[in-house]
Order: sequence, then structure tokens, then C-alpha cells
Amino acid sequence: MRWMPTCREATELASREMDERLSLIDHLGLKMHLAICRNCRRFTVQLEEMRRLFRIETGGDDDAPGLDPEARRRIESELHRKLDA
Amino acid sequence: MTQLDARIWLAEHGDYLFRVARRQLHSDEEAEDAVQETLLAALAAHERYTGSSSPRTWLTGILKHKIVDLIRRNVREVEIPRDEEGEEAVDALFKRDGHWAEPLRPWGNPQTEAELSQLRRVLDDCADRLKPVMAQVFSLREVAGMETEDICKELGITPTNCWVLLHRARLFLRECLELNGFSGGALS
Repeated sequence: MRWMPTCREATELASREMDERLSLIDHLGLKMHLAICRNCRRFTVQLEEMRRLFRIETGGDDDAPGLDPEARRRIESELHRKLDA
Repeated sequence: MTQLDARIWLAEHGDYLFRVARRQLHSDEEAEDAVQETLLAALAAHERYTGSSSPRTWLTGILKHKIVDLIRRNVREVEIPRDEEGEEAVDALFKRDGHWAEPLRPWGNPQTEAELSQLRRVLDDCADRLKPVMAQVFSLREVAGMETEDICKELGITPTNCWVLLHRARLFLRECLELNGFSGGALS
């Protein structure tokens, strides 16, 4: 990697930085790139946003379909079976 | 612990648990399995429930483990693609000199529950469209919060392969979200 990463390389680094500490050189390269590139700054903001939206703690309360009645009955009878055993 | 408690859990939290599971597992059947296993595990472990957290929080904690188990099981069954696969799709997002092919638009800042709910729906659709292995590595990382090192061990792949899969998953999800009206302030 040259001293200044391209956008494509910067997205690789930004993605990796979500998961682990980058080497100092990679970290500085990414920082320099972000300083001059609005697209990649947006990309890093959107990475954080996606992470937030995917957290398991969110999203159980919305209006997506819940258990259908059949599934509910199957689970209920399984619970009964277990309790009677 | 009575039969009644388990039925109340199912009645009061069943839909909630199902939605959480469905968002991560990408199939109704697996989400149903996860809910069932969660309630059975809760039933077996009810002595350990101290009441210090709400039943929903407690059940969600159990569900999370069940989801991770299911994702792991799936991951072992899918073939890990070679590094080159998916490379072309990434090529399409960038110019040859490494610049973005299209400028990125800023995303809106959804606040209301209705907006967030719609946004999650789009997100789920997009996640369902990822290649299975990508979706699962992404889920292990973002849902389960597993370290990439542990994901690599689990899958028997190299760290580089793991980063490549995560990078592509994130690029494709982002692209899919933008194509589905995610950008430009309000959701259209």
C-alpha cells in the first residue's frame, strides 16, 4: 500500500478498523485519506450506523410480522410436552 | 415455575423474540426454532432467573445464545467462497483508479419508531440478499459481537479471508440500502 490509500483501500481499512486495531501506518493512512475525502467519511459514518441498526437489542418492537398462529401453537404444544414429561 | 409462566412468556414476548430472531437468521423456520429453544431453555433454567432483570431482557439474553448457535451451525454447512468470488461485484463499485464510481449520499437521520421500523425492514431485505457465508460472518460479528479471531477459528479460515468477507458484506449492504431509498434525508 502506498502512503496514501485509495478510496477502495480506505474502505478496506475502515471496515477492518471496526473489528480490530490497525497498525499505526494503516491507521494514519486512513486518517489522511478521510481528511480529504468526503465520500469515505460518509462511508465510515454509515458503517457505524449499520452496526447500530444490527444490534440485537434493537428491533423487536416494530411492526414486522411476529409469530404466526400455527408457529405459536407448535411452540405451545412443545412446552406442554416438556412440562408433562 | 408453573406451566402458566411459560405460556405467559410465549404470549407476551413471543412476537418480540421472533422478530429479533428473524432479523438475524433470515428464515421463519429458524426463527421459530430459536424462540422455541429459548423458551425451553428458560423453562429448564427458571431457578436461575432472579427477577433482577425483566423477563423480556432475561429471555432476550437466552435467545442471543440460541441465535449464535444456529448461525454457527449454518456457517459450518456453507461453503466458504474463494477470495476471487465477489471481487467483480466490488470492482463495480469503484473506478479503476480506486475512487468511488458513484458519490455517496448522506443518509437521513431517522428518529421516529415508524421510520426506524421501515429502515430495519429495508436492512433485513438487504441482509437476506447477501451470500449466505457473508451474511453469517457479518451476523457473527455484528449480532453476536464475536471477535474476528474467534470467527476465523470457528470457520477455519484465515483472518484475511474474514476481513475480506466483512468488507464485502458491508460494501454490499451499504449499496443495497442506498439503492432502496435509504439516502437523502427522509426515507422515500
